[in-house]
Amino acid sequence: MFSSIEDVIDRFAKQKYICSRTIATVIYLASHLRKPVLVEGPAGVGKTDLGKVLAEALGRSLIRLQCYEGLDETKALYEWEYAKQLLYTQILKDKIGEVLAGAATLRQAVERIASEDNVFFSERFIVPRPLLRAILSRDPVVLLIDEIDKADTEFEAFLLEVLSDFQVSVPELGTIKANQLPLVILTSNNAREMSDALKRRCLHLYLDFPERERELEIVKLKVPGVSERLAAEVVDLVQSVRKLDLKKVPSISETLDWAKALMLLNIDKLDHEMVSSTLTALLKYEGDIRKAEQELKQYLQRARAKVGSAPASPPGGKDLLH
Amino acid sequence: MEAKILEFAGILRGNGVRVSPAEVMDGLRAALVVGLGDRLAFKSALRSAMVKRAIDLPIFDEVFDLFFSGLGQAMGEIARQTQAALQLSEREFQELMEFIAKTLSRHSIEVSPLARALLQNDTGRLAQLLREAASQVGLDAISRPFQDGQYGYAIGEVLRLEGVREELAKIQQILAEMGAGDPVAAQAARLVERRLSDLNEMIRRLVRSEREMRHFAQRESLHLKSLTEKSFYYLTEDELRRMKEAVTRLAQRLKNAISVRRKRAHRGRVDIKGTLRASLQYGGVPFAIKIDRRKREKPQVVILCDVSDSVRNVSRFMLQFVYSLQDLYSRVRSFIFVADLGEITALFGENDINQAIDLALRGKVINVFAHSDFGRAFQLFYRDYIASVTRRTTVIILGDARNNYNVAHEWVLKEIRQRAKQVIWLNPESRSTWGFGDSEMERYMPYCDLVEECHNLKQLYGVIDRLVSA
Repeated sequence: MFSSIEDVIDRFAKQKYICSRTIATVIYLASHLRKPVLVEGPAGVGKTDLGKVLAEALGRSLIRLQCYEGLDETKALYEWEYAKQLLYTQILKDKIGEVLAGAATLRQAVERIASEDNVFFSERFIVPRPLLRAILSRDPVVLLIDEIDKADTEFEAFLLEVLSDFQVSVPELGTIKANQLPLVILTSNNAREMSDALKRRCLHLYLDFPERERELEIVKLKVPGVSERLAAEVVDLVQSVRKLDLKKVPSISETLDWAKALMLLNIDKLDHEMVSSTLTALLKYEGDIRKAEQELKQYLQRARAKVGSAPASPPGGKDLLH
Repeated sequence: MEAKILEFAGILRGNGVRVSPAEVMDGLRAALVVGLGDRLAFKSALRSAMVKRAIDLPIFDEVFDLFFSGLGQAMGEIARQTQAALQLSEREFQELMEFIAKTLSRHSIEVSPLARALLQNDTGRLAQLLREAASQVGLDAISRPFQDGQYGYAIGEVLRLEGVREELAKIQQILAEMGAGDPVAAQAARLVERRLSDLNEMIRRLVRSEREMRHFAQRESLHLKSLTEKSFYYLTEDELRRMKEAVTRLAQRLKNAISVRRKRAHRGRVDIKGTLRASLQYGGVPFAIKIDRRKREKPQVVILCDVSDSVRNVSRFMLQFVYSLQDLYSRVRSFIFVADLGEITALFGENDINQAIDLALRGKVINVFAHSDFGRAFQLFYRDYIASVTRRTTVIILGDARNNYNVAHEWVLKEIRQRAKQVIWLNPESRSTWGFGDSEMERYMPYCDLVEECHNLKQLYGVIDRLVSA
């Protein structure tokens, strides 16, 4: 368990996840109030990673439930292994015969079978799915319910029950209660609005694209060996591209991809040709790329004007083009 | 602290943020866990526990700042202004206040708590006194800007401002008498004089921030509601801008509605293949019946949009809807026409929304300054694009059917209707004027499945809703 908000930041930093104070506060609260966290925000800002890193930081195992349309209880909670049950009945035919041997009437036979039926409906024949696994686990776990907005509203309602008491009822077995309360992270891409009931039970965290400083920190951490200057230039440019009206705004992961690509190409200073030939790592739509190139030109002009006034540096990247 | 957070939750609710009692409890518990020491953590804690919709976050931030530090900040600001006006450094300001305090005790003058707090710039005490007075006059009921003066005056009465003024005048006089040979005393006298107007300013700020905090979101929402019922023809520039936002939001809501509706399609035919496959697991016994729940095919839409001068405003919103919903439908083809006809589907695919609409309306595709000729435009459509209309296509025509007495060519519409799933005509003119003058609505009407009058956002929304459910 985390001892303070700073502790959260430290432990996350050890897992190479830079988290702002706001994020840390919410995680700290979640671990102390034992409430699930609903993380919302645009794609690629590290929502899923937050769950993964949380598990790592606490040294707990991660159980992940990926949601999709049509996800139901049998996929999320548990399923009886009918095939295995059938197989066992076949194999145990003789034994069943013995049990039934002394029965004089049909009624008696049924009674005897009934008294043994928990043999077949026992935990031996149950396939636990992520939710049940999280509840059954002896050690506390982190349960990551990813892209909850993709699941049906019915599933969401079912999830409410699980999240409020961490107990589920399996008709044949009775109610199963969690040994250890898992920490729950739910992520949503806002494909649809979640129900108020679900939101009420969760702490809410809205993750947005990071400010310049934080993104710079992330780039330096995740792309080892990147030069200070390249990192700064990349981040500056991405930040200004995000302000454009694009179909798909570049996310953090795309910033990282781009920085890595530039590293591989041995660039340490951005110039126009280099950027436009690698821009596909950053932007995924033709129209977006065209729009960004405009911005790019202006940005590089500004940068050149700045460099012009500062002591001149050897144009290291330029030579590579020839 | 409980009372404070409860009041805060009340103000959030007043601003349209849904905060349930359970969430207030969570907020309290969260605040206890993080404590009050760290302002950012406290704010994050309250926010995560009490605000659950991303669109409410700006309201929360605004109200939080006003509620938890609005007055304190205002006081700091006022003190700084005074410092600047008297050209004092931070230290000189402090020394001057100590000087005044010493002078007071030397002359053994008893002053009221308010005057003392004011002269020592004790912001905590000042804030407390002001808040007490505010709650006595019932400041939480304030709702309109013109009430500012009235409430400010009432607070002044409760604080006995007149008494404070006399006290300060007396002190100022003493200091002024001392100040004849002492520049420090003269400076102090000026400071005392200034503090009175500072107090007035503080009261004004308190009243204003209280009003803004309680009605931060109110004006916005009222405005939007009346906007949906206003005719497209009479919108001002500013309203056009707001309307655009409203349209985008409606489109978003529609998307949500559709995804829910699609998912409700739970029944279906038995999927023989799937059932057989599943039965293998049970030795050929069809134990689990699989049902074919494949999604319905998305509707295909062809839109013909009149962009002549008479319906320009309406087309703008129609085009905006088309743009917003383009990714919702598998196939949307959009055309604009006046006398010529041009396709703008690609234009919409490549440009961002405002640019695309501007390009479409500015005459890049067709001449938009010609006289409307529906018949000709329909004929052109028949010649070039009739193949794009299939039995799954919904054809939407937007226009006033004012044909300038040209040939109507309604046979094209008949042809389209035979091929299409449905034909919808949206007319921005009111129903009573159809068929008069050069309006050819009566001729076209028999070949449409649905003819709707559509001259405000509410009607447009209704039409789109029906379109989606079809």
